[in-house]
Amino acid sequence: MSTIIEIQGLTKKYGDLTALNDLTLNIQEGEVFGFIGPNGAGKTTTMRILTTLLKPSSGKAWVAGESVIDNPRAVRRNIGYMPDFFGVYDDMKVWEYLDFFAACYDIPQSTRLGMVDDLLALVDLGHKKDAFVDSLSRGMKQRLCLARTLAHDPQVLILDEPASGLDPRARIEMRELLRELKTMGKTIFFSSHILSEVADICTSIAILEAGGLVAYGDMAEMKRQLRAHRLIQLRALGDLTPIQEFLLRHEAVESIITSEEMDIPSDSLRFDFTGDDAALSQLLASLIGNKFQVVAFQEETGDLEDVFLQVTKGIVN
Amino acid sequence: MTELVQEPATKKKSFIQRLRENPVTVKELRSRMRGRRAFVVLTVHLLVMSGFITLVYSAFASAASGPFGPDSREVGKVIFSSVLGLQVMLVIFVGPSFTAGAISGEKERQTYDLLRTTLLSAKSFVAGKLLSALSYVLLLIFVAIPLQSIAFLMGGVAVIELVLSQVIVLVSAVTFALWGLYASSRMRTTLSASVVTFAGALFVTVGIPVVVGLFSMILSPFFAGAAVFSWQAEAALMYALMFLAGTNLPATLIVSDIVLVEEGSLWYFSTSVGGFSGSSHTVWLFSPWPLFLILYILLAVVLFYATVRRVRKIATQ
Repeated sequence: MSTIIEIQGLTKKYGDLTALNDLTLNIQEGEVFGFIGPNGAGKTTTMRILTTLLKPSSGKAWVAGESVIDNPRAVRRNIGYMPDFFGVYDDMKVWEYLDFFAACYDIPQSTRLGMVDDLLALVDLGHKKDAFVDSLSRGMKQRLCLARTLAHDPQVLILDEPASGLDPRARIEMRELLRELKTMGKTIFFSSHILSEVADICTSIAILEAGGLVAYGDMAEMKRQLRAHRLIQLRALGDLTPIQEFLLRHEAVESIITSEEMDIPSDSLRFDFTGDDAALSQLLASLIGNKFQVVAFQEETGDLEDVFLQVTKGIVN
Repeated sequence: MTELVQEPATKKKSFIQRLRENPVTVKELRSRMRGRRAFVVLTVHLLVMSGFITLVYSAFASAASGPFGPDSREVGKVIFSSVLGLQVMLVIFVGPSFTAGAISGEKERQTYDLLRTTLLSAKSFVAGKLLSALSYVLLLIFVAIPLQSIAFLMGGVAVIELVLSQVIVLVSAVTFALWGLYASSRMRTTLSASVVTFAGALFVTVGIPVVVGLFSMILSPFFAGAAVFSWQAEAALMYALMFLAGTNLPATLIVSDIVLVEEGSLWYFSTSVGGFSGSSHTVWLFSPWPLFLILYILLAVVLFYATVRRVRKIATQ
């Protein structure tokens, strides 16, 4: 995989306020990259710079090898951008909306008609082709806007809060759509503050706070790095006290949490484990070997919210 | 899905073809001419014009006291002047009202950023906005030409008068529309853009003549009391007044017509000046319309490129 978005020391200042501070990150081709952070963290500023709408105070950025500062037109050819807030035109039908934007991307008229049908089918709006854009629901408008970003078949999609303001069904539809675009080979760079969604579809994430990057990397790796040790949940038949005593004698077990200390089932307990997979497997084997009636033994993966809370300090809201 | 990858059009399009295919023009005209609105506006416009002409004719007929009714040539002249007056109002107020909201409206609707991330050049964008606004204003002007032709039936108006007046009106329409477009590119809201546009248009058409009138009233006692007022000074004053007439739409139309009808010349005429010396000198004066056309065409070019520059500029804030 090659780097498709490269950001080097990007800084944006508005007077005394630093909206973005020395941001450096690389996004690989085909990735679904989640850009997370509280409101005012600098996500939209970064996206506006990448989409050639805003000049950075310092630093550089490239999209598909083209500089956003020196060659904005070439960058625009390679990106599809969906802002967090966008409007639609009155007196315009759905097909006219897509046809208009396709024409703005120099797509010949002969190609546009079939292409509009394909795009509408992709976002499941084929039945709304002759409806006025203004009459669509928020979720439909959001999907239409996503179809618009695809009109010129860009390599990179930059989506600012694509699921914001959507009801649960529309959110699920949007998530499925992003998955489909990923399978089409698009690189998706999107911001969100709905962490469960990011965790669901992202391959990599970056967490931004107060204009600074606080964490960045491969999704699974991030979770692993940010968690110093593994949390294992065990369920067994009978009295749990002998198991607790057995576990405490194991050198890789750090602490044990019982149902009295935490909201877990009474037949279960949790413990911190510092060993690797082989050590964990051995521990399970020895539990079985000691005739403990283990019913379930699994690692708690933790979620992105844990990671987010761990790395951010709540500086901006 | 069909293949969406498009090769950029390499075949060079003609200027007319580019204008005809400009996506902004197509979109705006499609929206503007959709439904009954455009038809109703045109009908009301023609009804108002017809009513106005009927009113002018009736007023003139009842005021005329000759044994054979009103002089048809004079009626023709009055109708011609009245329709021209309405055209001037359209050009000064209606045209700019369309363009004043053309760019600021995109900002307010939050569609501006969507357009700016496409491959649509700033020049095409501005040209498209201008053309769509002008098309409608010109339509309103052209539909009134049959009403103008009533003046020919009555007599008293030469073809050259009609042609000259329409050329002046057309050039003014472009310049005033571009002024509105420039204001729209500078302002964040349509309201402020409209205020600036109308203030500018009023200053040029009404403000300057009022200021000149006030100055001449203030200065006339000094000239009247001057012991020596040379013919050169009188000639210079006449040149200055003709120059000022050449900066003002109504003044240009009136003075050019007077030169054409009274002096029988399209381009220039001579007049005698003597000052207080008693000697008579002949000075040649040009009709104001060539100066007006040069000034307004130059202004239109400057405003067009200033607007393009403004649209092209990548935001720093």
